[in-house]
Amino acid sequence: MTIENIQQYLPKNAKVEICDNIAFFEVSAFEIKEIAVDLQAKGAIMNLISATDEGGGQGGFNIWYVFGLPKKNIFIIPFIRLQHTTEFPSLTPAIHSACNFEKKIHTFFGLTPVGHPDLRPILLHENWPVDVFPLRKDFDWQTKTKDVQRPYLFQKVEGEGVYEIPVGPIHAGIIEPGHFRFSVAGEEILLLEAKLGFVHKGSEKLFEVLGLGDKVRLSEKISGDSSFSHSLAFCQAVEQLSGVTVPERALYLRVIYAELERLANHFGDIGAIMIDTGFNFGGANGARLREIIMQINERLTGSRFLRGAGAIGGVLKDINAKEAVALGRHLEKIRKDFLEVIAIAENSTSLLNRLTDTGVLLAKTAQDYGALGVAARAVGIIFDARVDFPYAAYAKLDFNTVETESDGDVYGRFKVRIKESFASINLIKNALTKLPKGPVHVNIENVVFKKNALALGVVEGWRGQIIYFITTDASGNINKVTPCDPSFLNWPLVSEVGAGNVVPDFPLINKSFNLSYSGNDV
Amino acid sequence: MEIDIIVWILQIILVPVTAPLCVGIIRKIKAKLQNRRGAGIFQPYRDLWKLFHKDEVISKDASWIFRCAPYIVFTVTIVVGASIPLFASYSDVTGSGNLLVIIYTLAIGTFFLALAGIDIGGAFGGFGSSREMTMAALAEGGFIFSLLTVGIISGSTDLFAISQNGLIQQGYLLPSTLAFLGLCIVLLAETARFPFDNPATHLELTMIHEAMILEYSGKKLALMEWASANKLLIFIALASNLFFPFGLAQHADSGAVLVALAVFAVKTIIFCLVIALLESFIAKFRFFRLPDLLMIAFIFNVVAIILIH
Repeated sequence: MTIENIQQYLPKNAKVEICDNIAFFEVSAFEIKEIAVDLQAKGAIMNLISATDEGGGQGGFNIWYVFGLPKKNIFIIPFIRLQHTTEFPSLTPAIHSACNFEKKIHTFFGLTPVGHPDLRPILLHENWPVDVFPLRKDFDWQTKTKDVQRPYLFQKVEGEGVYEIPVGPIHAGIIEPGHFRFSVAGEEILLLEAKLGFVHKGSEKLFEVLGLGDKVRLSEKISGDSSFSHSLAFCQAVEQLSGVTVPERALYLRVIYAELERLANHFGDIGAIMIDTGFNFGGANGARLREIIMQINERLTGSRFLRGAGAIGGVLKDINAKEAVALGRHLEKIRKDFLEVIAIAENSTSLLNRLTDTGVLLAKTAQDYGALGVAARAVGIIFDARVDFPYAAYAKLDFNTVETESDGDVYGRFKVRIKESFASINLIKNALTKLPKGPVHVNIENVVFKKNALALGVVEGWRGQIIYFITTDASGNINKVTPCDPSFLNWPLVSEVGAGNVVPDFPLINKSFNLSYSGNDV
Repeated sequence: MEIDIIVWILQIILVPVTAPLCVGIIRKIKAKLQNRRGAGIFQPYRDLWKLFHKDEVISKDASWIFRCAPYIVFTVTIVVGASIPLFASYSDVTGSGNLLVIIYTLAIGTFFLALAGIDIGGAFGGFGSSREMTMAALAEGGFIFSLLTVGIISGSTDLFAISQNGLIQQGYLLPSTLAFLGLCIVLLAETARFPFDNPATHLELTMIHEAMILEYSGKKLALMEWASANKLLIFIALASNLFFPFGLAQHADSGAVLVALAVFAVKTIIFCLVIALLESFIAKFRFFRLPDLLMIAFIFNVVAIILIH
């Protein structure tokens, strides 16, 4: 990549540094808003905002604005340096998807985005002291904070017949915890506010402390159902920092494992959406198909969730020739099986009646919130990290179709999942036939990281784009790892979509997004 | 004389004793249709046994309504269960087999169930009660007119008298078919079955009947569960014995009674099978489509009455 290719995206006089496919440069706090809006107008997507502690009092803080250029596989990262101040200008009034990123920086670094419309804390609850900022370097990861009781302010809706229903954080099913506050009039939802953070584990802080191998294991646990994709994103970022070349065979295996993960989860979701409408036939079959894939995962890697398969420098589990042939044959059977189930489901008018026009997400809303993954593709946003920021062996497998729908309702998200499942089966079969010979892993024991560098790992998990943003310090140590699960950007959509629907439809709408609480709360 | 006493006892205990079995059978069939092995058909009895041996947690905001409602709701189903033709069309034990008495005695149970739902002030209970009352108000019309149709055809409002006179033989095939379909829709609504309610769901926000009893635990929950099983069997008995009254014992004879019991069992199992198939192959309806369905039940029955003359 040369500066000339991306000149149009850079402000004049910017001192641009290049790190692989990343161009980063410092801008002043006054300019950032203008530059960000300009980048977005030119087609760049704001992927992430992260802060790093560059020595607190003396070095100040840096705030990084990660913009991706789809199709070009280039990232533009302007950053601002905060010295002797804890205030920075908020982008939220201009770019809505910045909202939660800025809130998070506010809560975890104690830096104030000036002009932000809603500075209530995010993820850390009312029992966390207001003046303790866990992601600053002077906060020891083992610190036990004093218990405090602050009020948690929900938005209030008032009027005749309006009342609130508190739901959760403990739910009746075996799902993660999250609190939903519905303000309803009769059965219609007027406002839905989600309070998350119940599974906040301090993972970002833990990334600062753990050794490299443990960091990989930790990345698998950011969101358990996306174990492989999360660890893949982290490993890709680290590989970029260290300049390790991953063997060809490992790149293909990464595709196979990532697509198996997508298949298992899409099958599970397709079934779960049907069971939430009470369509038991579909529900039972979705669960059955998911289980078949989980058992394949276990046979191939020893873990139903593909844990331990991913590693820096390749993968740790190979697929032998006999296993590869068996898998190909097995997948063909699963494809036919799935086809039959879907044919029956699509024939059920009572099911389709529940799915269509329920929980409609508008394309404009999706764009404003920076929606990712299945939810975005169901409103026709053509974005898939496998195509737009190709990694592993996707480009070599001629994978370039983004499956979309246009209606943005539950049925749209249901259909995107169905199409992607078939695409995944084809991808795996394709990868199996083209699987090159060779080693699957390179040794990374004596690896050194670039100094004062940045790296990004981008992976299209089954929910959507997963990003890991890593910075190193002057001696080449990892300074900060920022994981970002698509759930973080998509959760506000659930609240947005819920309003206007009737309460009994909400579980179905929620299931059609099926976002991760753990990935959001990190 | 002995046979009379046995029939009396049977008439009183048959509903509470066999109702949980119906629930067990429906669940078993559903499990089979989902490729699951499922629990045994006697599981509901074990569940009741378990719940009767558990302690209860009662909110400090609960009033006497919450405490009494399970007894009232349960008693109502026992009384009604003894007052409708089950296997013998002559054994009016309670003397209260009038159709309006039956309908409104059942309504007392629904009324207290709904009150109990809102009594504690929990969000879900209120939801359940509000939805239940919406359904109950709309189902009531269909229910009355359905029974009234058979009443007019057979010239009596006494359910036992109705079950003695065959309907179809009298040449009222169309009106009685319509009334039967209407009653089937009401049956599904009143017993919290698909497409109205999902008895197997864990999603509090979608519940109707389960939401109202969400705050109950232990013995009171057992009574509530038992009562809803009784209600299911009561509706199945009404639908089968009023519209297909063959096989009922017409007089005190031990052979006839045994045959009648077997016939009743077969009829009940057929209903269970239909309900289980329905719950396996269709999705639950959207809440706001349910009133339409109940209106259809009502219209069926009005048309049925018009058709009679």
